[in-house]
Amino acid sequence: MPRRILIIRMIPVDTFLYIAQGAFEQGLIYSFMVMGLYISYKILNVADLTVDSSFTLGAAVTAVFTAAGQPWLGLLAGIAAGAAAGIITGLLQTKLRIQPILSGILTMTGLYSVNLLIMGKSSLSTAGKENVFALFSFLGKGFSKIPLLIILAAGVIALLTVFFRTQIGMSVRATGDNEQMVRASSINADAMKILGLAAANALVALSGGLLQQYNNAASADMGVGTVVIGLASIVIGEALFRRGGVLRGLISALLGSIIYRCIFAAVLQIGLDASYMKLFTALFIVAAVAVPTLKRSGKNS
Amino acid sequence: MLDINNISMVFNKGTVNERRALDGVSLHLDRGDFVTVIGSNGAGKSTLLNAVAGSYPVDGGSIVLDGEDITNMPEHKRAKHIGRLFQNTLMGTAPNMTIEENLGLAYGRGSRRGLRRCVSAADRKFFRERLAMLELGLEDRLNMKVGLLSGGQRQAITLLMATMITPKLLLLDEHTAALDPKTAEQVMTITRRIIAEDNITALMVTHNINGALSNGNKTLVMNGGKVLAVLEGQRRENFTPEMLIQLYGDNAAAISDRMLL
Repeated sequence: MPRRILIIRMIPVDTFLYIAQGAFEQGLIYSFMVMGLYISYKILNVADLTVDSSFTLGAAVTAVFTAAGQPWLGLLAGIAAGAAAGIITGLLQTKLRIQPILSGILTMTGLYSVNLLIMGKSSLSTAGKENVFALFSFLGKGFSKIPLLIILAAGVIALLTVFFRTQIGMSVRATGDNEQMVRASSINADAMKILGLAAANALVALSGGLLQQYNNAASADMGVGTVVIGLASIVIGEALFRRGGVLRGLISALLGSIIYRCIFAAVLQIGLDASYMKLFTALFIVAAVAVPTLKRSGKNS
Repeated sequence: MLDINNISMVFNKGTVNERRALDGVSLHLDRGDFVTVIGSNGAGKSTLLNAVAGSYPVDGGSIVLDGEDITNMPEHKRAKHIGRLFQNTLMGTAPNMTIEENLGLAYGRGSRRGLRRCVSAADRKFFRERLAMLELGLEDRLNMKVGLLSGGQRQAITLLMATMITPKLLLLDEHTAALDPKTAEQVMTITRRIIAEDNITALMVTHNINGALSNGNKTLVMNGGKVLAVLEGQRRENFTPEMLIQLYGDNAAAISDRMLL
């Protein structure tokens, strides 16, 4: 039988709610990655490809700790590992003067092996072990995830908003805006870049760690395409909420992530094969980036 | 205040395109000196400022600022004591950040930056006062993005940022050249006033002999990476464009019309 790409079908209401809840939860989980990417891509103005592997790194570290009965410690260790990955990419960029994109690719590639070493094999299941969502298990198994994720997201947004108003936070923002001006103001721009990349990848790793807790599993390939998903979410968020300050940017990153997951779920429900999703996400970004360019060239001709 | 001792800088070293951008330049500035720099294209004026600011390492010689050898100090550390303006009005400010955010960053110059709020209420009041001094009406637009301002407004803000914490040395690299004549004069007036009020030691590159002679108390004439003359006192007062051509001698062809205006 030929493989079908599209199967249109109707679904009952309870199934719809179940799928919508799943999309919302995953949107929240991925939102930390999208906020991380917002920091590197929008605030620091650096295309950081470390993300594909630092996402998996967060998951791998969290999985190992969770298997040993320490999910919370695992999440924290995952965040620290992600920050370390960001620092490595930052050092490659600033101290060794390797181009930003290549720096990210090098860390990403190297981390693939590191992730395998951490897990000891290509995937690690923590099924049956307690995970961080147990904190709200009194709400019932189906509803324990959303409260924790919302609290974490709100906490991260509040923390970052305050941070980016401090002297150091403002210096990080300015580094992405005008590096020359930053150096002229006696700020160490290299240190600000490294700090920004550390924060970005710490968030990405937190996202990976939470996904590991959600699925009770981590695999070496789970981060593939993360950058593209993150960019798509940022594009969606910006299209809906326009650009503004850091707070607005973070909130639109969060909402963009949720909407992306809803679209993803809807497309799967229409019956599209999941294996085509990355292709469609990539095409979506090409379209989103190309539209303004095409509009402009249309005006000029 | 500033002692530049026999510095040289070579571009494309060891290649056929090797060029000595600075060739044994020495210069001494006393506290409060306002030295203007004039020279033809490629004379090394901007390179001299880049060397002092630390944008590029020098290939020889030493630079001493207020008794401290800064020859090998990284750019951002020298910036604690050196304020700087460029010809390009986009270079001195962060365009996607607001006026108060830009000023807030510059206000932290020289001190350790921490997790304190970048712009406090007291800072805001102070910024408003300083902006009012510019007489450009910017004091009511603290939350406007700097990228939306005109070149002259941006340059005035950059000047404020460079001098809000009084620097030991102010470097001005043709900072009014990209502005229209009226705005240029406005920014130059503000520049003179701030330099005089805070008794700032300054080094200013200008593109014409008139501007070089009518501002400051000394004038440095450069050509081909070398110092041709340091004009001061009586000699400077009586200096004319004709004398500039004489000074250049065989190199007079390097003088552009623009310089003599």
